Amino acid sequence: MNRFWKWTAGVFGVLLFAAFGVLSYMAGSPKDAYGMVRYALPHMHRGTLKVGSDAPDARIVALDGVNRFHIRERTHERPLVLVFGSFT
Amino acid sequence: MYVREAHPTDEWQMKSNLKDKDDVCYAQPKTLEQRAIIANDFIKRFKFPLPFGIDDMSNAADNAYSAWPERIYIIDESGHIAYRGGMGPFNYKPEEAREWLAARYGAIKHELPKSTPDVTPASALGAVAPAPGALSTPARAAPAK
Repeated sequence: MNRFWKWTAGVFGVLLFAAFGVLSYMAGSPKDAYGMVRYALPHMHRGTLKVGSDAPDARIVALDGVNRFHIRERTHERPLVLVFGSFT
Repeated sequence: MYVREAHPTDEWQMKSNLKDKDDVCYAQPKTLEQRAIIANDFIKRFKFPLPFGIDDMSNAADNAYSAWPERIYIIDESGHIAYRGGMGPFNYKPEEAREWLAARYGAIKHELPKSTPDVTPASALGAVAPAPGALSTPARAAPAK
């Protein structure tokens, strides 16, 4: 039994190492692989919005950092394209 | 819509941020003012011509739209989600959204603005009100054909 668990742990470790190696290759480096797991993976299947859902409202800050407006203030009569992103 | 940084220096910075000729290196903003400074820097560097907004520090828009790191939505005239793009960068496909718009509303011919938007300088944030007509509050999307 003890031998079984040793083999199981060994195989699991090798698979884990191989998976991290493949991910590092795909991401570009081990650091990026870690970043992908740490920061991107939790967001992969986030959210329940679907086509046909009511567009959620949110209060947005204007470029001056002071004035605010709501997304839904802009969603009448015409379609609204929302492009989310950051600088980095 | 500016949401929290994807590859800040204090989190998951990528080599491409360092190699980039534009040197896009920022720490994750901890205050709204810091977000506004980065957003204004983006607008200024790339002469971004479209209406622009900043997600607040509660990440309300990001949470509501699962926006991070980048994503595109189209909201139709009735206020419903008409198009939901995939999570960036791999499934961020502006051309797909453009095709969707063209299929639904007809092709839209874009004309670049003759002058760059007048934005409040980052250094003056919080001290100077935006100039009249400044791109500080979004206008509606381009009219459908």
